[in-house]
Amino acid sequence: MNIAYSTELICFLILSAVIVSGSLAVVLLENIVYSAFLLGGVFMAVAGLYLLLNASFVAAAQILVYVGAVNVLILFAIMLVNKKEKLKPIKGLKTRKLISGGVCGGLLILLLRVSITTKWNLPGPTSIGEEATERIGEHLFTDYLLPFELASILLLMAMIGAIVLARRDISISTGDINDFKNKKSLINKKIPLLSENSLK
Amino acid sequence: MLGFLEKVADYTKEAVSAAKYLVDGLGVTFDHMRRRPVTVQYPYEKLIPSERYRGRIHYEFDKCIACEVCVRVCPINLPVVDWVMNKETKKKELRNYSIDFGACIFCGNCVEYCPTNCLSMTEEYELASFDRHSLNYDNVALGRLPTSVTSDPSVRPLRELAYLPEGIMDPHELPANQKRAGKLPTQIIKELQADKSQEEDNNNSSNIVPNKLNSTN
Amino acid sequence: MNSGIDLEMSFTQGVQNLGLSHELAHLLWIPLPMLLVLVSAVIGVLVTVWLERKISAAAQQRIGPEYAGALGILQPMADGLKLLVKEDIIPARADSVLFTVGPILVLVPVILSWLIVPFGQNLLISNVGIGIFLWIALSSIQPIGLLMSGYSSNNKYSLLGGLRAAAQSISYEIPLALAVLAIVMMSNSLSTVDIVEQQNTAGFLSWNIWRQPVGFVIFWICALAECERLPFDLPEAEEELVAGYQTEYAGMKFALFYLAGYINLVLSALLVSVLYLGGWGFPISIDWFSSLIGLSIDNPLVQIIAASIGIVMTILKAYLLVFLAILLRWTTPRVRIDQLLDLGWKFLLPISLVNLLVTASLKLAFPITFGG
Repeated sequence: MNIAYSTELICFLILSAVIVSGSLAVVLLENIVYSAFLLGGVFMAVAGLYLLLNASFVAAAQILVYVGAVNVLILFAIMLVNKKEKLKPIKGLKTRKLISGGVCGGLLILLLRVSITTKWNLPGPTSIGEEATERIGEHLFTDYLLPFELASILLLMAMIGAIVLARRDISISTGDINDFKNKKSLINKKIPLLSENSLK
Repeated sequence: MLGFLEKVADYTKEAVSAAKYLVDGLGVTFDHMRRRPVTVQYPYEKLIPSERYRGRIHYEFDKCIACEVCVRVCPINLPVVDWVMNKETKKKELRNYSIDFGACIFCGNCVEYCPTNCLSMTEEYELASFDRHSLNYDNVALGRLPTSVTSDPSVRPLRELAYLPEGIMDPHELPANQKRAGKLPTQIIKELQADKSQEEDNNNSSNIVPNKLNSTN
Repeated sequence: MNSGIDLEMSFTQGVQNLGLSHELAHLLWIPLPMLLVLVSAVIGVLVTVWLERKISAAAQQRIGPEYAGALGILQPMADGLKLLVKEDIIPARADSVLFTVGPILVLVPVILSWLIVPFGQNLLISNVGIGIFLWIALSSIQPIGLLMSGYSSNNKYSLLGGLRAAAQSISYEIPLALAVLAIVMMSNSLSTVDIVEQQNTAGFLSWNIWRQPVGFVIFWICALAECERLPFDLPEAEEELVAGYQTEYAGMKFALFYLAGYINLVLSALLVSVLYLGGWGFPISIDWFSSLIGLSIDNPLVQIIAASIGIVMTILKAYLLVFLAILLRWTTPRVRIDQLLDLGWKFLLPISLVNLLVTASLKLAFPITFGG
């Protein structure tokens, strides 16, 4: 066992421990803010695993997208609506927990079975390292073009949807008696998205 | 389409002009960097206080008649005049006099109203002390004269902006004999007097001028 | 292309000659660049702090620090020492774990990004293939640290500052990445070394700033916003938010924020010089110069001189930009939050997209000048 291999092994063990314990904590912790921050930690650990696999581009993309965008978005959402309120007790929580635990356990067993019974092609294909960036680009624009384009259209739709939701300039109700009528009229009144006035 | 293009053109124009203003501003900031610092390097340089500077109050024990006018005109009745009536001479005998500079606002009312001019304002302003009780000056402390900034060998005295000659902003390399911009009060009085005498002369001569004018008509 | 000085190679070879295995030599080498990065980053910060104070003083017709060392050169050191020995306070109602992790999460990515800053052909910690992309990815971790410290301080100003900081750095990341993308498109590589090399073919005429003037401006504005420098220092706007997310911090934890801010500024300046101003390149091509004297480019003397000129050039360009940043600090007023987001989303983003498109079309039209 040489130094390089052992360091890799140690890194792998640490990273997997972080991922497993972190994701468990994300699910089980009461404090939602902790969960969100730990989620970021888990994402970073996953990026570390990619790095161990010599996939530096994927690792960087993982950090950029999941940590830098998704996780920050989650944190934003949590911090903007950080109301400390007691949740209503749910009926039959124990049985629900048992059922969901059973489903998750079954999934885990299935996955374990798959990973044990599958004949892994060891050692796997040699990593291409720095070339990976170009290869990913090639794949995205040749044989994976359709999913790529579909994903971008989906993102575009989501973006336009967000803009539509954010741009609806409904006047805030003042709490008058006539408010009920106003509300109705507001719903009926269609506000054009790109009228001449809204462009100004 | 054309309207949109116009909008784009306007937007670009605005952006360019904003950038131009930014560069102008940078130029101003950059220009300031080559100017000499205007700050006074305090413990080593000090500004010469002006004639009417209201600093720590000076007090002459011997002149005081313990009339307590200073106490009455003081906004907070600050001066403490400690006297006893001498029954034999039927005169007030002053024992102690003190002003607490921790509470004084240096308004100068006491100085203004003192009938014997035993109070006066000095140019001393460095009154800091480690204990607020030591700000309470008794008549001995009040009687001390401050060291003048100009006579202190460890300090470089600098003139204030209003005391500099015209067109000069920097007090550092200024010879001591340079006169300040504008006229001194004494000069103004002299000129006023000169004007007055001239006016009188003019009044005398003006009697002649109208006559001349009349004659030309 | 010549390989230049390779310190790592010579070090490992030297250690191997002492009778150690190759792996052990490599292991011995690893901490050295780390230490070097830490030391150079901290020295860079000290110099920047001193410059900031001196230049600010000059711009305001003051003198600035004067008595701590000649011209106050030791003042930042004294500041650092003061912060080091100051009491480390964690507010009673604060979340102590997050409160401690926050500043670390802000500082570590910034220092990590120094990996990719090249001072010469082989004078960088690691020539990662994804180079500049790594920096963009790493700098996206920072908002989490800011949000963390803002949230854990249990203070409304801190939370507002943290949210503002995160919003700001997310919105300016996009035009920044697009500006970088235009450069990457021209040099056909993400690696910072390749980007610099592609600029150093004909002295200063081949610098990217001539081909990407718009990109340069966009990048610089975004870099200032990412560093929270003055026109964009809303997260710590002292008139509104006390000190933003730093409000509750004291002692060394505050120093971490302080360090991160200035390291980020120096790093951004270095990256601007790498991406747009030819990195270590001398305004006149060194190859041409050495041939003028009649020395081969592989001559060790020429190599050493070239390397030191490279380091000096990189630092000089970076500090010129730092100077510009300080000058901008005293020239421009702080923008409002809506103006900030307007500038980011409605001005920089469309312009950087157009810039990208124009670059792409120019690359197709003139493959020689715009990287075929």
